[in-house]
Amino acid sequence: MRFLMAGLLVLAAGMPLVLPEAYLYILGLAYIFAVMVISWDLMVGYTGQVNLGHTTFVGLGAYVAALMQTPLRSGMALHPALAIIAGGVTASAVGLAIGIITLRLRGYYFSLVTAILPLVFMQTVFIWRELFGGEEGFTVENTIFTTTLEKYYFSLLVLLVSLIIMRKIVDSRIGLRFMAIRDSEELAESLGINTTRYKVMAFILSSFFAGIAGAMVVNYRFTVSPDLYGVPLMLLIILSAVLGGLGTLYGPLVGAIVIYLAKNWWLGDLIRTFSFPINDEIVLYAILIAVGILMPEGFYHGVKRWVKSISSEKK
Amino acid sequence: MIETLIQIFLFGAVVGGIWGLVASGFSLIFGVSRILNFAHGSAFVSSAFLVYSLVNYGYNLYFAVLAGLILAAAIGTVVYALTKPVRDREVMVIILTLAFALLVQQVLLILFGDRGVSVQPFIEGVAEIGGLKVTYMRILSLILAVICLAGLDIFITKTKLGKKVMATAQDSRAAMMVGIDIEKIFLLVMVLSSLLAGFAGILYAQILSVNPEVSLKALIYAFAIVILGGLGSLRGSIVASFIVGYILVTTITFLGARWSEFVMLLTIVAILVVKPTGLFGVRE
Repeated sequence: MRFLMAGLLVLAAGMPLVLPEAYLYILGLAYIFAVMVISWDLMVGYTGQVNLGHTTFVGLGAYVAALMQTPLRSGMALHPALAIIAGGVTASAVGLAIGIITLRLRGYYFSLVTAILPLVFMQTVFIWRELFGGEEGFTVENTIFTTTLEKYYFSLLVLLVSLIIMRKIVDSRIGLRFMAIRDSEELAESLGINTTRYKVMAFILSSFFAGIAGAMVVNYRFTVSPDLYGVPLMLLIILSAVLGGLGTLYGPLVGAIVIYLAKNWWLGDLIRTFSFPINDEIVLYAILIAVGILMPEGFYHGVKRWVKSISSEKK
Repeated sequence: MIETLIQIFLFGAVVGGIWGLVASGFSLIFGVSRILNFAHGSAFVSSAFLVYSLVNYGYNLYFAVLAGLILAAAIGTVVYALTKPVRDREVMVIILTLAFALLVQQVLLILFGDRGVSVQPFIEGVAEIGGLKVTYMRILSLILAVICLAGLDIFITKTKLGKKVMATAQDSRAAMMVGIDIEKIFLLVMVLSSLLAGFAGILYAQILSVNPEVSLKALIYAFAIVILGGLGSLRGSIVASFIVGYILVTTITFLGARWSEFVMLLTIVAILVVKPTGLFGVRE
């Protein structure tokens, strides 16, 4: 596994040598998208609490960072690295508040409330139009890097650091407690685990990385717009994580990069080539429904079982 | 001032009645089959758009409404079929119904664009109540909504089939043991709820206007209503829908429509802090 990871890392680091800049740009964005997906997996795949409002934290991180580094909007000119961290911290603070209210309840309340959040936060953009710039958003100044090459390596670095931190968390005793809650909340509680505290902890961590990813996006695209709160982005995150296999981190990582490239690179080409009278989102949702029916446990687990069945046949 | 009060009192009831049709179905589906149906708003908008285009093509309004209701029932059947194989996987149910809802929304966006459309009302004309002009259609839609909700309540509590639905909601395994075909009950509830949502959409399009994005917005109100009324409690949802209707109309009157989602969220949070089981909720 370690060799495979190292090999992939070398491959990713070598990409700028072979890929033209336009594709490199998309690949870098795919890495940031992967941070959103694995942070979603940390909450949903490990503690079993279905968060439907992950884009709330992506959008929050994006807008907080964008405002803090754009003097024209807020009068503040924070260093972009600090602004990105501020985006993550704000997102996790909101996560804490929401988590304390909803995660002490069992069952569906958490999903229902988080499902509403992105739609509510999206309205803030329209209510305070002068500050947030309405549906068009605004241009971000003082971004951390300017060339595509720098941006590419920086997002690769952020993905790597996030992945390592999250891996360490899920491999630790805390991660074991997360999984105990997922498998049986009653049992976990009877073992003396404060389930609410650990669920909230997972939610704070998950929202922090989502906020960082959102702040990265605005530093990458130089603009911030309400689509970062959007439900379509949310569904894309869910699709990637589920396709990759929940509760594995690596699966959702691969799922994220494949799905993101498929959506922004291959799918558009395909539709233009055949000139279908539909847009790429329809195709995406149709794929999602098909996957849900054909492979309810995700690609990762499906492949794993398939490999197991082959190797057991050989014996 | 008195006019504003009458306006809030009346329009709140109208809006509450329409959202009550949506939320009672949502609550019924959840109560019986433990499915969070994110595609519930799809029946709402789709049937309204079908009625709108059929009337535009020159068909009779009542024929168009019938066709809209059939479409709503068909959507309910599709959602039932989609969720059947994954019913015990909470995440997959949410993904499938949400993907279906967004798919429908995209198709409607391509066909009709994102502008709002209205449907020709059942009756024309304006009544004057205390100096306030109210269209007859608003009064009629309130009456129709109340009739439907009362009918649903009678069906659930008084008829034999309704009691089977209740039994399935209380304990589907025990219901199966006493010989109830729970798959049939699941399908019945899904179709019935979609019919109510579709009818609500048609009424809504007759007094206001619908656009494809309403399908997701309708969900927010449905969520607020079922949390306020208590997850899975039908009567709770009906009462809560009128409370939410009043909150909504008051917000729109004094703050503007943009704030309605905000106030809904605050309402939900307040309920969850003070009384998590809602007004009539039962502990899970």
